[in-house]
Amino acid sequence: MSSRMWRLALAAAVAAACHEGLQPTPTCPPGFVGICGLVTVLVPLPDSLKDTTEAVFIVAYKNFPTAPESLFNFLPLPPPPIPTSPSTYPYSLKVPNGQYQWVLAVWKRKGTLTTQSADSLLREVGFYKDGGDTTTHGTGIVTVNGPGTDSIDFVIDFGNMHRICTYFPPCPP
Amino acid sequence: MYGTVRDTAGAAIPRVQLRVMNTELRTTVEANGHYRIAAIPAGRVVLNAWLIGYRQAFDTVEVVGGDSVQVDVILTPSPLTVGPIVVTAAKRSQFLDQAVTSVALVSDSEIARRAVSTVDEAVNKAPGVLFLNGQVNIRGSSGFVEGLGSRVLLLVDGVPANQGDRGGIDWDMLPLDEVDRVEVVKGAGSSLYGSAAFGGVVNLITHDIPVGVHGRVRATAGAYANPPESVWQFRDYTGGLGGLDVTGSYGSQELRGSLTLGGRHSDGYREQDRSDQWETGGKAEWHPAPDTRVTASGSWTSHQYQVGDPWCELNKCDNRGLAFQPFMIDTSNQGNYTRSDKGYLAATIERTPSARFSWQARGSWLRTHFTDLHKGPDDFGVANRFGAELRGEAHAARGGVVTVGAEASYSDVTSNIFTGVTAATSDTVRSHDQTAFAAYGEGEHQAGRVRLTAGARMDFIARDGGSVSSVLSPRVGAVLPTRAGTWRASIGAGFRAPSLAELFVSTSAFGYRVIPNPDLQHETAWSFELGNAAALGSRARLDAALFWTEARRLIEPVFTRDTAGNPVIQFQNVARARLRGLDLFLVATPFPWNLTTSLSYTFLDTRDDSTGLVLAFRPKHLATLSADYGWRSLSVGADFRFVSRIEEIELAGPYAGDPRVAAKVLDLRAGWEGGPVSVRLLMNNLLNYMYSLTPGTLEPVRTMSVILAWKY
Repeated sequence: MSSRMWRLALAAAVAAACHEGLQPTPTCPPGFVGICGLVTVLVPLPDSLKDTTEAVFIVAYKNFPTAPESLFNFLPLPPPPIPTSPSTYPYSLKVPNGQYQWVLAVWKRKGTLTTQSADSLLREVGFYKDGGDTTTHGTGIVTVNGPGTDSIDFVIDFGNMHRICTYFPPCPP
Repeated sequence: MYGTVRDTAGAAIPRVQLRVMNTELRTTVEANGHYRIAAIPAGRVVLNAWLIGYRQAFDTVEVVGGDSVQVDVILTPSPLTVGPIVVTAAKRSQFLDQAVTSVALVSDSEIARRAVSTVDEAVNKAPGVLFLNGQVNIRGSSGFVEGLGSRVLLLVDGVPANQGDRGGIDWDMLPLDEVDRVEVVKGAGSSLYGSAAFGGVVNLITHDIPVGVHGRVRATAGAYANPPESVWQFRDYTGGLGGLDVTGSYGSQELRGSLTLGGRHSDGYREQDRSDQWETGGKAEWHPAPDTRVTASGSWTSHQYQVGDPWCELNKCDNRGLAFQPFMIDTSNQGNYTRSDKGYLAATIERTPSARFSWQARGSWLRTHFTDLHKGPDDFGVANRFGAELRGEAHAARGGVVTVGAEASYSDVTSNIFTGVTAATSDTVRSHDQTAFAAYGEGEHQAGRVRLTAGARMDFIARDGGSVSSVLSPRVGAVLPTRAGTWRASIGAGFRAPSLAELFVSTSAFGYRVIPNPDLQHETAWSFELGNAAALGSRARLDAALFWTEARRLIEPVFTRDTAGNPVIQFQNVARARLRGLDLFLVATPFPWNLTTSLSYTFLDTRDDSTGLVLAFRPKHLATLSADYGWRSLSVGADFRFVSRIEEIELAGPYAGDPRVAAKVLDLRAGWEGGPVSVRLLMNNLLNYMYSLTPGTLEPVRTMSVILAWKY
């Protein structure tokens, strides 16, 4: 190979590396398949819970869980945590195409999560619903069909936390 | 035997490797071109002299008992000359072109030219080798499992040095100044090396100690570039790095010793990425009898480093409106750092009673101790690996060679995360151990022009004193020199016993319990290779190989459910996989003579038979283009490395959605050498190209370094 060709090869290599690479990516980037939106923490986490809090997660269910055993059928796995201070935060859930019946925020107490301990370790603290909806868990069905599922916004109210048994009554004392 | 080694102009050539063929006797030529080899058995012997850049020389010498003989060697410059002696492919000395599997070499001159500072930097540029966040891959062998369960075996002068607990490799265990050269054997090597040699073997060969008083000092200083985007800025100063290594040695004919002390500091190129390291390494040689050499070596490294990955995902820090911040740390991980102490001691006795027979015995102790300091209880593990080996090598009159040996090892770990406890607890501390015995043998026979090789190794492994499992690993191969180059073919078995960490891990990751799996079985594989090494005219040489590996029961971490139905992570024998491809290395000296260029390329086609997808963390294309030009005492060079986009990842958690890009990295270097002093300037990742190879981990940014070295 002649020296000219080697120079050309080196120039091509330099040109190839000049662009691309990781770039600053907005919250819900172009081409992202999943659910994006804003979550607003209205009421701060009570001080009494701070020491026992492990995290607050946002999850999505394709089908509304109908029994404690189906509580773990959420996506994505693992779910992203969000801060607990009063503010508005962007979030994104990388989930496949499909319909999602429940997009919610879950507070988790420290401890090993099992179907038996779920009621004592988990609290629903907010979920996405259509405006004017008054049903127990909302009718906020989210459809993901390729990129662009954005503005799935909802609020978190740590002053109004619901036990899991609210959705699988009766609640033990 | 004594004498000098000079070039055709009469100038002394230092650092030439001299070896008495069919023996363990060897030495390195001193700075003034003189050498001396003691204790050569009487009779006719062949002296081999080799240094990259010169045509290797052979001289048949008649040695009279009790007398000295002067042999002066003249080497002819020949940049394309290959054919050095390797010691790893067959567990004995042989010419590179007689090895039945592919071997990549990183010579001492290449290490010096690239002016790298650490062992992993030296190994990373070898053809077909790719590091993924510290985990070495040879032809895509290991993938990436957070350093657990390497499918590559690390040797230091032939002594196994994978961690006793995690099975991974501490690349910072040995100071680079101790390393003379590196041999990378590709493909399954379990027929000689047993577990962990599933996908290949990396052998770090330390310097021979020259006669006389010698010293080396190397000082490094440098700086990291700032992030290329203002929205990624994370500090208001320029991060720096620096290091100092000092080596001294003294040698007489009977006793020789060397000691290296070193330290380095780095501010890191990301948030929470500082690192401090202190290291020492030494070696001693004793020649108590004419045919006997006793070698003792060891090293100790203490490394404290902040944990700067994974990077900050959405809502885990001040994202500034971005989906992720590659230079910033998740605030919940702030303050995390690791202290990692590690070292080894090894002793070897080598005897060459005759030109036809030699044997060696060795013992070794490797110890690692890590503590992960983070919020909540700290994780720790203290592990030992004791090893012993006895090996004999017999040469037949017509070129046949037989190597036989036996090897034993005992590994243990005491830890609060490798406990085997299923319940979530961090205050339990338990110990586990693994014992292994093995016997192996390999013979080589010359049949006409063909050299045939056949051998096998039987390993017996027991954990915690339980039942013994056995694995047979055979290998056959052949080498045929022809006008169209030297052909090589081999098929061999590989296996890897699960590490104690994979068996007994009990911790948390991504917010989930990681539970133990004491029922894990060995991974196994069959590996086939067909290769050819040929000269292309007078100015180029090509080594190409087709490889195919069929692996079974690959151990991977998977999301699953425990007996109570809770989501957990566990290591399981899940994957049956295929890895096949092409590996080639082309070196050429186009006009003018002192311009050397090379291209290494690996094409990898993998498939996970259980999912139909490509295997995780195996890029399809890996290429490195290099050029070096020398003029008098000046030299300049460049490397361009391309790693295609990693198509599949696993256990990525919140990082699964991150964009992945191909790696395109340009490194430049320049150097000046005047007598005992040299100065080198490095500019790694010159274009400040941003990329990651593993989830949530930014690869190094542009780094400028100056290296001053002095030799005595």
